[in-house]
This record gives sequence, C-alpha cells and structure tokens, in this order.
Amino acid sequence: MLCPPIGGDVQTITLDAAVVLDTTVQALSGIGTEPGLLLASRGDTLDTRVIIRFDSLPQKFIPTGDTARPISSVDSAYIQLRVDTSSIKGADPVTIEAYDVDTTANDTSSAAVLALFRPDRFISAQTFTRAQLTDTLKYFISNAVVLDRVVNGTPLRIGLRATGPVSAQMRFISTESQAGPVLFFRATPDTTTKPLVVSPFSRTPADDRILRSVLVDYTVIANAPAPASPGTLVVGGLPARRVYFRFNIPSSIIDSSTVVRATLLLNQLSNQSLDPTDSVLVVPQVGLAGIAVTDPTKAAQIVTPVSADTVKFRPGNSGQMSVELARALALWHTTPADTLPRAIILRAVGEGISPLEIRFSSSEDAAALRPKLRISYTSRVPLGLP
Amino acid sequence: MRNAFVAATISVVLSASVAGGQGALSTQGLGYPSGGLSARAEGTGGALGDFDALSLTSPASLAAAGSAALYFQYSPEFRKVTAGSGNASTTTARFPVVVGILPMGSSWTAGLSAASFLDRSTETNLTRVQVVGAPTDTVTLTERNRVLGAINDIRLALAWSKSPVVRIGVGAHVFAGSNRITFSQLFPDSSRYISTSQAGRISYAGFAASVGLEVHPSRVIGFAVSGRKGGDLRAESGDTALGRAPLPDHYSASVTYEGIPGAAISARVAHDSWSSLSALSSSGIQAFDGWDAGVGVEAAGPRLLQRIVTVRVGGRSRTLPFGVNGEKVKENTLAAGFGLPLARDRSSFEFALQRASRTAGSDIKERGFILSFGLRVSP
Repeated sequence: MLCPPIGGDVQTITLDAAVVLDTTVQALSGIGTEPGLLLASRGDTLDTRVIIRFDSLPQKFIPTGDTARPISSVDSAYIQLRVDTSSIKGADPVTIEAYDVDTTANDTSSAAVLALFRPDRFISAQTFTRAQLTDTLKYFISNAVVLDRVVNGTPLRIGLRATGPVSAQMRFISTESQAGPVLFFRATPDTTTKPLVVSPFSRTPADDRILRSVLVDYTVIANAPAPASPGTLVVGGLPARRVYFRFNIPSSIIDSSTVVRATLLLNQLSNQSLDPTDSVLVVPQVGLAGIAVTDPTKAAQIVTPVSADTVKFRPGNSGQMSVELARALALWHTTPADTLPRAIILRAVGEGISPLEIRFSSSEDAAALRPKLRISYTSRVPLGLP
Repeated sequence: MRNAFVAATISVVLSASVAGGQGALSTQGLGYPSGGLSARAEGTGGALGDFDALSLTSPASLAAAGSAALYFQYSPEFRKVTAGSGNASTTTARFPVVVGILPMGSSWTAGLSAASFLDRSTETNLTRVQVVGAPTDTVTLTERNRVLGAINDIRLALAWSKSPVVRIGVGAHVFAGSNRITFSQLFPDSSRYISTSQAGRISYAGFAASVGLEVHPSRVIGFAVSGRKGGDLRAESGDTALGRAPLPDHYSASVTYEGIPGAAISARVAHDSWSSLSALSSSGIQAFDGWDAGVGVEAAGPRLLQRIVTVRVGGRSRTLPFGVNGEKVKENTLAAGFGLPLARDRSSFEFALQRASRTAGSDIKERGFILSFGLRVSP
C-alpha cells in the first residue's frame, strides 16, 4: 500500500446517562417583548387578543397655514397594522372587534384585561376578507371614542379580538420589531392638513420603565391548547418555553479525543392540538451561565447559538429526532466543566409569536425514550516519524 | 536547507476504511534524497559529482573551483503517480544546493555548503466514505496529511591541492532540519461535523565527517573516491526524544576520461547505507542500502553569444532509501543539460532536465521531471 494508515476510523458511542438534568423552563422574555402580536380565534383550541396602548394623545393640532388650536373633532381614525401575511390562517372573512381595555388593574394581569372584552366596552368592528388582509391593514375605529380620549386626556387602550364563524389567525408586527401599530386621525375635515400620527405609548406601570416600554402592545392569551403532561419537555408555545439540558460527558471524550460529531437524540411526542403539520424551527444554543447560576430558568436565558442552522420539527410528528451539537462540544473542549456547565437550551425561532409547541420525552420516561447524547470521535494520532 | 514551498496533492478515492498518508514512491519514509548534486553533475547523471566543486559528494573537488564562488540552485519536480487506473500529479519545489567557495592561498580551498539530504515535503489528500453517528449515516471524509521540511546536510569542507594531479579534501557535516506535520480530517458539512486538525514538528540533528581524494595521473583520465561516515541522527519532538539512528555511510568512486578533445566521459558508482535509518521509523517502514550508478558525457557545444555552451547528457540508476510494502524503490533517470558562461566567465548559468522513472515492484509507478536551474557567481 502506497499510503500507510494515519487516521483511524471514527468511533461512535451513545451516552444514555449523559443527560443529568432536563427540564422545561419559561422563556423569560415575558409579556410584551414578543416581536409579533398574535390575534387568533381557533375555537376551543386557541384564543389570543392584542392590546395596544395609546396613553398619550395630542390635544392640539396645527391646521395648514394657521396656528395651533385644540382638537375639537376627529375624523378617519384608524390603526395601521403591519400583518405578517405568512402567518394568516383561514380563508374566510374575519371580523376584528375593538374594545376599550383601559383599566387600573395590574398591568400584567391577563385576566383583568380579558374581562374587559365585554359589550359595554365594545368600540367597533371591522370585517376583512382574505384578500383584504394585506401586509398593511387599516383598522378603523370610532372617531367619537378617539375624540373622547383626546378631549378628556384619558388613555386610549384598544383590545382587538378576532371573531367569526370559522377559525382565524394572523400576526401583527409589534413595536419591538420597529414596525408596530400606529394610530392615524384627522383633527379637521380639511384634507390639506396632514393627519395626526400617534405611536403606542404606555404610562403604566409608573415604577417600571422597561415593562412600561414593552407594554405598549402585547398579546394576551385567553385560551391555549391543553398543556403537556408533567415531565414532558416542551419547546415553543404560548407562553413561550424552552428546554434546558445539562450533560455530564466523560472528560476522556472531550479532553483526550477529537469529537467530530455530537447529536442529541430526542424522542418526539406527537402534539395534535394545533396545526400538527406546520413547521417549527428550533435552534439549539449553548448555555453560557456559569456554575453560580443554579436556576435552570435563569441559566436558559444566557445562551449563544451552537450554529446558524435550525432544526425543523412538526408538532404532530413522533419518534426519534436529532439535534446536532458538534459546535457545542468544540466550545466545551476549551472550557473546563467546573467553569462552564455542559448545558444546551432548545428554543423555538418564533419564540413568543407562535402557539405551536414541540414535545419530547424527558429523562423521567422509559429508558428507551429518554434523551441521549451520541458522540462520534477520533483518537489523536501520533504525528511523528513515518 | 529549507524547502521553500511544496504543493503536492494526491487525491485518491479509495474504498471505505482505507486511509493513508504519503502518496508518492519517492517521498516514503524520511523523504527523498536529492543527492547534493549541482545542475552540472545532474546533467551527466551524477557521474561528474565527485569532480564537481559545486556538488557535495566529495570535499576534494573543492580544490578544482579555481576562484571564489557562490552558487544557488532551484529544482522543481513535476511528478505523476499512477496506481492502477488512478493517477495524481504533484509538484515539489526544492532549493537543493547552496554553495560558497573561498580559495585560501594557492593550495587551500574552503567551502561552506548546504544541501537537502532527505526531503520529506509532501501533501496527501485521501477521500473515503466514513460512518459517523448512526450506522446509516455516511459522510465523505477527506484526510489531508501535509509534511513540510527536510533534513539538510550542512558541510564545512577544506580541500588541498598542490598540483592538478592530486586533490584531497575533508568535510565536517551537520545534519539538521525539521518536519512540520499537519494532519487534518475535513468534513463537508460544518453544521453537522467538526473538521479536525493536528500539528506536530520533528527536529533532527546529527553529525558526520567526510573525506575525498581525486587523482589525475594524466591529462586524459582522473579518479576520485570519497566517503562519509556518520554519527547518530537524533529525532526529537519538543523535549521528547523520538529516536536515534546512525547516519548512513556513503562511499563513492568515479572515473573521468578526457581523451576526446572537448569532451569528458565520466562514470560514478556510490553506495549508501540507508538501512541504518530503519530505526527512525515508527511504522516499520523499511530502509534499504542502495547503489547509485551514473554515467555521462560533458562536451563543448555550440557557441552562443561568442561563448561556448557546454552540453551534457547522462543516465543514472539508484535505489531510493525507503521502500514500499517491503519492496525497494528503484529510480532510473535520463538527464541532459547545458552550461552557459556569463559576464566574462565571472558567472555561469547551469541547467539540467532529468526524467526520473520510479518503480517498486507493483502496479504503482511514478514519473517525474526535475528541472534544475543553477547560478554560479564569482565575486
């Protein structure tokens, strides 16, 4: 043989007990931070509402060629909504109702807001055909209601709900994505005067500036699919969840050999509750939280991507699925385990804006169904004399 | 003497589980012996080596230099390796000889020179199908083995000659150099696999001494003998001693006949005890003692720019140090060349073309064209 062997075959081992901790944790991004506002009416399965706060409305306007004067009339008031048209479900017309959801209740109380979607708080309704659901939607609301808030200086807080004989679902771009809802209205019938433009704004909670800034628009979940059974690992859904894995990998593999591939083997559980054939992109991330962070929920927020690639799942599928983690092991090779726990976090790319959730068996399930880590490696070859 | 650059690639698609490293007959083991011959000597199949002041085979030949000189040589080799139905083309660039000569008085001449002793520079790419992960997960894996560097022979020599009849020389040799080795396993999908790379470096050091005698009993014939006795060659990686082996002894004898006006017919035979280097193999690569025989003619050729161009032709046959699968590697070479005086004979340009054919008793064959460009300058 002209070429004597140098590199050996790649060895592969499957570590059944490598996963020492796996748990589902909340995505701490929290209410209001979602990049999209989900408006859904999926019967008994899913019902979400959209809240938009205009706590600061102008009380004066400047007519063309004139000086500022108080607003005494409102005309052509509408909220401009940017629609993610790829998120639209349902081909039938959908009616979007608007409610006055102004309340002094706790700002993060979903129940308090949902209770305000009642007839005496009804503002207006507008029906859209599927063809009318373009990427920019004009949702007209009562001029009188807007004028009342302008004149009285009170907040205009709009709650949107989708209704109709059949299911409907769409996603609006939120303020967090720099293309959120905007309120337009005219303070005079004179069309030579430009309409007033009002961006969402929240005055409460007064003692939390960050929360105040994200609550300018947010999604409220009125009804969500039945939760997974305890002990099931869940990625995605509303509210958004992640899966946190912590591994114990023999140092002989990480330190003494050269890992060429690492795969997390998961047993996916079929979730037929909502859009089982839709795709959910999941991205594996390496936990960067040090050993001082013992709470998996907090540790699952300090992450960096393993790679740019995502893994596509369908909620309704079941069986063994693979998540590639080779890059994570490359990072771990350079950092001792007592400094950086070997943690992987799975999160949905559309975290917080998609109700779909992917479910996996956990280490509490039967041995054959538990998460496993498969590692392929080569031994270091002596590079010396021929 | 370092090899400036080597770009040698052999792509061999092999069946699964076959892996490999060095992919040429001539670069097995510790490498290829370029021989320490100048372009002039190479043009005569090495036959003039023992009489050539710019070659390193005999220290006695320094006395024939006549004047101070600096000499540089560049020798790229273009190889083609054929194994069954597959073949690969490779290129190796070498600077095999650098010589400085300084006459001291009327009888003594000193020379400091460096030559490639064993050039291991090569790069091999092997592609194979490998199972990685599940038993059904296969991927095309490329293993790249790159070795750069050589063991070099640095010689300080002194020659004495009171008359054109006898020339005597002695030389002290330092064998030094290194091999930088990089072994990489390259996978195509970086999101799924991690390509790996290992690097290593081997340093070599050893000493030897040589003597040479040249006798010209008449104007038409001359004889030369030379020998080099080696000490131990040590191989180390960092602070770790990898091994040691005696440097191969080298003996040669030559004759030249100048009875034909304007022409010199020469022959040379040499023996190298390469087998002593077997101890420096970690994988059992066998080294063989080998004969090196050459015959050639140097003659005055046509005039070019009022200068006589010297033309040369020769043939050479030798055994390369390291075998393949227990078989010796034979190298047969046909050579031709010319020398062109420049700048009123204060410098000269030497050129040689060698066509080497190497076999090892199997279906693996290697053909190479070695072009040698030498420039001698007398300050």
